[in-house]
Amino acid sequence: MSENKNTEIKEETVKKVSVSILQKRWRKFKTLKRGYISFLVIVTAFLLSFILPLFVGKSALLVHYNGSYYFPLFNTYQATDLGQTRDPYGEANYRFLKKQYSEENQGNWVLMPFYPFGPNENLLNELEGNPPHPPSAEHWAGTDDRGRDVFARLLYGFNIGLSFALVVTFFSYIIGIAIGALLGFYGGKVDILGQRFIEIWGTLPFLYVIIIISSIINPNFLLLVVILTLFNWIGMTYYMRGEFYREKARDYVAAAVSMGAKNRIVIFKHILPNSLTPVISYAPFAIVANIFSLVSLDFLGFGLPAPTPSWGQLMQQGLTNIDYWWLIMTPLIAMFLTLLMITFIGEAIREAFDPKVYSRLR
Amino acid sequence: MTSYFIRRFLLIIPTFLGITLVTFLILQFVPGGPLETALMQMRTGGQQGSEAGSTGTTQGIPQEAIEELKRFYGFDKPIYERYAIWIGNLVKLDLGTSYKYNEPVWDVITERFPVSIYFGLVGFLLTYIVCVPLGVYKAVKNGSAFDFVSSALVFIGYSIPGFAFGAMMLVLFGGGSFWDVFPLGGFRSEDWDNLSFMGKIWDQIHHTFLPVMSYMIGSFATLTILTKNSVIENLSQDYIRTAYSKGLSEKKVIFGHALRNSLIPISTGLGHAISLVLAGSFLIEKVFNINGMGLLGYQSILDRDYPVVMGILVISTLLLLIGNILSDILYAIVDPRIRFK
Repeated sequence: MSENKNTEIKEETVKKVSVSILQKRWRKFKTLKRGYISFLVIVTAFLLSFILPLFVGKSALLVHYNGSYYFPLFNTYQATDLGQTRDPYGEANYRFLKKQYSEENQGNWVLMPFYPFGPNENLLNELEGNPPHPPSAEHWAGTDDRGRDVFARLLYGFNIGLSFALVVTFFSYIIGIAIGALLGFYGGKVDILGQRFIEIWGTLPFLYVIIIISSIINPNFLLLVVILTLFNWIGMTYYMRGEFYREKARDYVAAAVSMGAKNRIVIFKHILPNSLTPVISYAPFAIVANIFSLVSLDFLGFGLPAPTPSWGQLMQQGLTNIDYWWLIMTPLIAMFLTLLMITFIGEAIREAFDPKVYSRLR
Repeated sequence: MTSYFIRRFLLIIPTFLGITLVTFLILQFVPGGPLETALMQMRTGGQQGSEAGSTGTTQGIPQEAIEELKRFYGFDKPIYERYAIWIGNLVKLDLGTSYKYNEPVWDVITERFPVSIYFGLVGFLLTYIVCVPLGVYKAVKNGSAFDFVSSALVFIGYSIPGFAFGAMMLVLFGGGSFWDVFPLGGFRSEDWDNLSFMGKIWDQIHHTFLPVMSYMIGSFATLTILTKNSVIENLSQDYIRTAYSKGLSEKKVIFGHALRNSLIPISTGLGHAISLVLAGSFLIEKVFNINGMGLLGYQSILDRDYPVVMGILVISTLLLLIGNILSDILYAIVDPRIRFK
């Protein structure tokens, strides 16, 4: 009995010892409620935004018409295919169909998404008066100056904006880490030349270059990612260069080198894992900055091409039609909530990764 | 250390040449340049002259006129020669003539200096006057309700881009659907010259308030948190313990000992104060319709006014590079432990 207890205790201590530093940080992160909750909310919202057509969209999820089932999410149907009587031209309008079927009462039905409006559809033939329409029970955030539903555009814009920022952050980190690591590890001439190059590249008026490139080639998602990445990797190199300079003077690196480890091994296996802290704790702020960049570009009209739902484009509309307050307030609130939560995450990560515990002495 | 800074100053030259060369090259590939614009104007101008004349002819302009135009804009020479000429003029402090305004670039740019310096200086001073004391107070009261609330406010400010904040303020207070408290934009009222002295002051403050708020909101969070962290870090040092144990009052410990060391990282930002001359985000200036440096740079790109684009680039680059070095010099002066070599 007592022997059993002893082994139990031993196992427990072993378990405690084997907690990795990353696990420790994750535990610390979970205790920082503001950041942890923001993290859960943002991740859930972002994942859900990929299946957004199930909740928000103009296509019905399921149509039952004359005994057969239709799946408009995967196929497009013509209005005549489904017996639409109002404006029976082109693609079927499932909101019309729903109303029509329930009036006809012949056993046909339409299952619409929870919020039955798409981001790019023009609602002028369904709404009275001139756009922009103010918010109403049907259109929660009103419509924009082309009669498109603002709420749907906001949600789809969230997906595009955050995806954009994540992709740009990811790629600029890879480039920035690689170059910063090389400069810091090899030092000397490589460092001096590399630094001059970075200085030149970093001082180029980045918004100017984007504007110039956008005026030659019509930008799309991929091109904008490439351009922004080309200008965004620089910040990271400073961190990595400094980290590598500091780390390569440590004993464990000398030990690895003296054991005959190749440069490649020393860089990737020994130094890199030890210098990733600033990278990770800086990432949320980089994401915030990249969302900023896309919003600014869209605001100026140099961002994603025309029908793409975007927050910046809505704000631009709002500023030209200053009497239609919802055009500017709703994207602002959406952006604000998103950025605030990401900032909270960043703050919590920074705290979880910070080994310094300050104690006030007095 | 002097030799270090001399080397740093000398390194400005290759960097500067690199930056201007790359931008110069990029500008050559942009469509809709001054030559094409001038040709277009000649074409449409000719059409207006002879009303029933041939429409849409591209051959309407004699070859000599095109050559003449090319010579006028300097496009008859290869790129490297043009760049060499441009650098040669720059050494003589000649930035060229603006295509759009037909004035020397230097005059076009310096005309905007007062607006930029005004907004830059007001924003800069207010940020430091508010953020540094706030950061110190937050550090001293770390963990208190005030600290929590002000942190939340600061992070909220950090999550709103300046121009978006400005746009929101305009919607709320610019006399749209809500309150009519502030003017819709501009640097001063149109009847500025007719105002009394006090009226002028009031008018200027009235026009300054919202743009300056928009400028400040971003840097507010960074500077406050930087100050706070720096003070907290210093408060946990041994020399503070010593100061307390020898019986100094809390006031003396904080202001006489901790604060001086805490201000080191903050003082380095001062080197970039020389860039205030060119201050001005064109997003914010666009929102508030202020005719400042940012808007000039933006507009000159849209207008393909290359001499102005390059002129702004030259000045801003030099200020930035010199500002970097000034920051390091300041750093070395404030903190004697730092030695550059």
